[in-house]
Amino acid sequence: MELLTPRPQMTTLLTNSVLDRLQRLRIRPAGKRTSRSRGEHLSGKGGTSTEFCDYRDYSPGDDTRFVDWNIFARLHRPYLKQFHKEEERHVVLLIDASASMKFEGKLDLAKPLAAAFGVMGLLNNERVSAYTSHQAGGAPDRMPPCRGRASLRTLFQFIESVEGRGDAPLDRAVELLLRHHSGRGVCVIVSDFLTFGDLKRSFNMLFAAGLEPMGIQILSPQEIEPDVTSDLRLVDSETQETLDVSSSADLLNLYQEYRQGLENDLALLCRRRQGRFLPVSSATPVESVLFDQLRRQGWIE
Amino acid sequence: MNWGGFQALSHLWLLSLLAPLALFYFLKLKRPRAEIPSLVLWRQVLQDHRVNSPFQKFKRNLLLLLQILLLLFLVFAATQPFWRGGPGKQRRLPVLVDCSASMDALDKPGGVSRLAEAKRRVREMIDGLASDQELCLISFDNTPRKLTGFTNDKRLLRDALDQIQVADVPSDLEEALRLVQALGRSEPFDEVLLFSDGNFPPRVNFDLSFKLNYQRLSPAGPNLGITALSAQRAVTGAWDVFVQIEGSADAEGNASVELFEDGNSIASERITVARGRAQRMVFQVKGDHASSLRVQLTPDGFDSLAADNMAYLDLPGSRPLRVFVPKSLVTYRRALQGIRGIQSFPQETSDEASGAFDLVMSDRPQDMDLVARTKLSVGFIPPELERFVELGTNGSSVVDWRRDAPVLQHVQLADLMVLDQPRFAAGEGEGDLENAGYEALIYGQRGPLLVRKQDSDGVRFALLFHTDRSTLPYRVGFPIFVANVVQAALEQAGLAEALANRTGVLPPLTLAPGGRYQIQTPEQTTEPVTADDHGIVSGVAAPRAGFYSVLENGVTRRRVGAGLLSPSETSLAGVAQIEFNEQLQVAEASAVMKTDWPLWPTLLMVALVVMLAEWWFFQKKPGGWK
Repeated sequence: MELLTPRPQMTTLLTNSVLDRLQRLRIRPAGKRTSRSRGEHLSGKGGTSTEFCDYRDYSPGDDTRFVDWNIFARLHRPYLKQFHKEEERHVVLLIDASASMKFEGKLDLAKPLAAAFGVMGLLNNERVSAYTSHQAGGAPDRMPPCRGRASLRTLFQFIESVEGRGDAPLDRAVELLLRHHSGRGVCVIVSDFLTFGDLKRSFNMLFAAGLEPMGIQILSPQEIEPDVTSDLRLVDSETQETLDVSSSADLLNLYQEYRQGLENDLALLCRRRQGRFLPVSSATPVESVLFDQLRRQGWIE
Repeated sequence: MNWGGFQALSHLWLLSLLAPLALFYFLKLKRPRAEIPSLVLWRQVLQDHRVNSPFQKFKRNLLLLLQILLLLFLVFAATQPFWRGGPGKQRRLPVLVDCSASMDALDKPGGVSRLAEAKRRVREMIDGLASDQELCLISFDNTPRKLTGFTNDKRLLRDALDQIQVADVPSDLEEALRLVQALGRSEPFDEVLLFSDGNFPPRVNFDLSFKLNYQRLSPAGPNLGITALSAQRAVTGAWDVFVQIEGSADAEGNASVELFEDGNSIASERITVARGRAQRMVFQVKGDHASSLRVQLTPDGFDSLAADNMAYLDLPGSRPLRVFVPKSLVTYRRALQGIRGIQSFPQETSDEASGAFDLVMSDRPQDMDLVARTKLSVGFIPPELERFVELGTNGSSVVDWRRDAPVLQHVQLADLMVLDQPRFAAGEGEGDLENAGYEALIYGQRGPLLVRKQDSDGVRFALLFHTDRSTLPYRVGFPIFVANVVQAALEQAGLAEALANRTGVLPPLTLAPGGRYQIQTPEQTTEPVTADDHGIVSGVAAPRAGFYSVLENGVTRRRVGAGLLSPSETSLAGVAQIEFNEQLQVAEASAVMKTDWPLWPTLLMVALVVMLAEWWFFQKKPGGWK
């Protein structure tokens, strides 16, 4: 009897079974943002694909090759046949790899999530580029745009090499990203969104660049339900700044109030720019996030 | 209305320690460091105005709050606050605690004694004693005892209070008040506190010079007890033992009375005591030998006082009365012949007369040196009376006589002719005679004809005229007079009547002259005593009812029982109002004496709890941010 040998893992980020399931899924953005270059996504505008879309009145100067002569013969008026235009979508992955993401497996969840979006993009013949932010002021690590199944390995290698370090603020990372990016599509931002910077400006810039923001906020359980039971001196892992806090129920209630407020603000920022936002806990398995939460909320289909 | 106060308000300066406390807190506060991903949210939280309100800021420093609380409690305790209990406080207060027999009575079955209740209330006073107050503890039964001087040393006062024990003797309030009055001369005070059940005479012969706060204790339960026990020798030679049982005002019911002779039960009887009535009974005991009787009362119901349920009586053995009468006093010897149980010396056939006698009757002064408890001198002036009385020859007659004197009972002396004339010496009178300890029983025209002196050595009668030179031997009253003297001798010898031994002081004990002994009390404590030259041990204290053993080198030589036989103590009656001289009356206090309640122990306990809370809070493992 012939023994079946297990298929080797393609990457440490995602299991083969997850990859198999991802092959059947694709990113489903809220809006239709595509690049002019030809791709597999139907554009809202008329195009030259073989798929019929609609009729419109003939205007002088229109290409007469698209006049429907059969209708002209019946109605004695020229009508122009329109076809769907298939354009290319750009999937930009931005992984917050600052030191704050090293806590309680936040980066360990961010990396496979970003990889999953990259896989879905590559397998659906979209252009995928990836960025990671580390040091404030420094240029982000970058994986140039690539396309096709052949780029999977490049994507995996890039994401696998990401390490948590530095104090790069997310808003600054977005600005740096846009300096190198061109093309419309979606920008999947995987971060804890804990930044002192102005995210509104960064999201506006993303929107203006034709990128639909898809924010995934990963917080650790301790950040979601902090257990402060005595006098503590909190130290910021990125800036090493300190803050003295004392345990009290009121303080924790206020913390929850502010955390919920931050979530709401982020969701509003994304929604107003036709984007999406999802807060998850770093304790949540990646499969649960991908195939349960994201799918149920319509991020992927 | 005054609710309370502070005894050491000056200690409020300790509040100034708040400043260094806060200073050290902020200087020394060391918070554990916890690295977190980002301070973004926390900084926003701490910048919230709700967090930055003064109260919230204070709440954040819970440790400081606890320390301040701890200091406040300690300072408050140091000021020694108290809750006012009584109307006011006395700087010096003598406290009289009655510890007589009735104070041992219980209020109910399994309850507490009156003394325990008094001690509890005095202990409350001691606990609430202010630093500027002083108490002086005095216990009293039939004698007062000053247990402490004026002091505010609580330990000393508590120790002294613990030493107070009930003595099975009646109380003497007068003596106690005199002691207190004497104390007031050196250390003045305005008020005296008296804790008692009120079981003392309502009239006290005392000039009250201070305010007496009479704290009468609640009455005890019903009580039955033996209030009398005596024996008289019957004509048959046996003893008639009389027992009387009485009870307190609310006591009634059945009881059994059992008589033990030398430890063996010889008689028992059931009695029923009605409320307010006494029950008397008589037992017959053979008098052929000396014996020790014990009467045991066992009430069927609850009996609040146990000390009066036992009484003891020592019966002497039966023997003839040894009487010395010289042969020259023929009339006396002849009168003695008609009395049974008399052994006269010298006998008719012999002149020998040696040893101790019970009665000496003689007209020779040298015979008065013979050992006897009862002596009758006839026809001469005893040497100690020669200063007061001289003997004349002008004759005399009886002017009057003490008809109530036992020795003159049924003796008619009217028209008695006396040839001798005893008369007072110049400048002397009956008062001088009384000062010498003599009591005139028969009064002649110029002086006494018969005198009597009684002391610890016995009783001495002196007929200051010779009966042979009077008409007395020819009268019917003469043999009666001799019989009365014999009866007095019998009583002195203990052959006619025996009385129960009471608590307080044991009866004189006849032991070996000069012997050293130990008296073992019912509580098994021992006290050394030494017999005098006559072998008499007297004045032995017997504060508790029970058997007292005389030990010689650890061997019991004799046992003497002493029991409470005071009807007043058995009755447990308490007076609600004490009457003093000049019709000054003191009623029992209408309210229970309340003491100031010191708050500092409570504050210290709270401070301890706060300190424990602070310690727990300080030591607990810092949580969060694993």
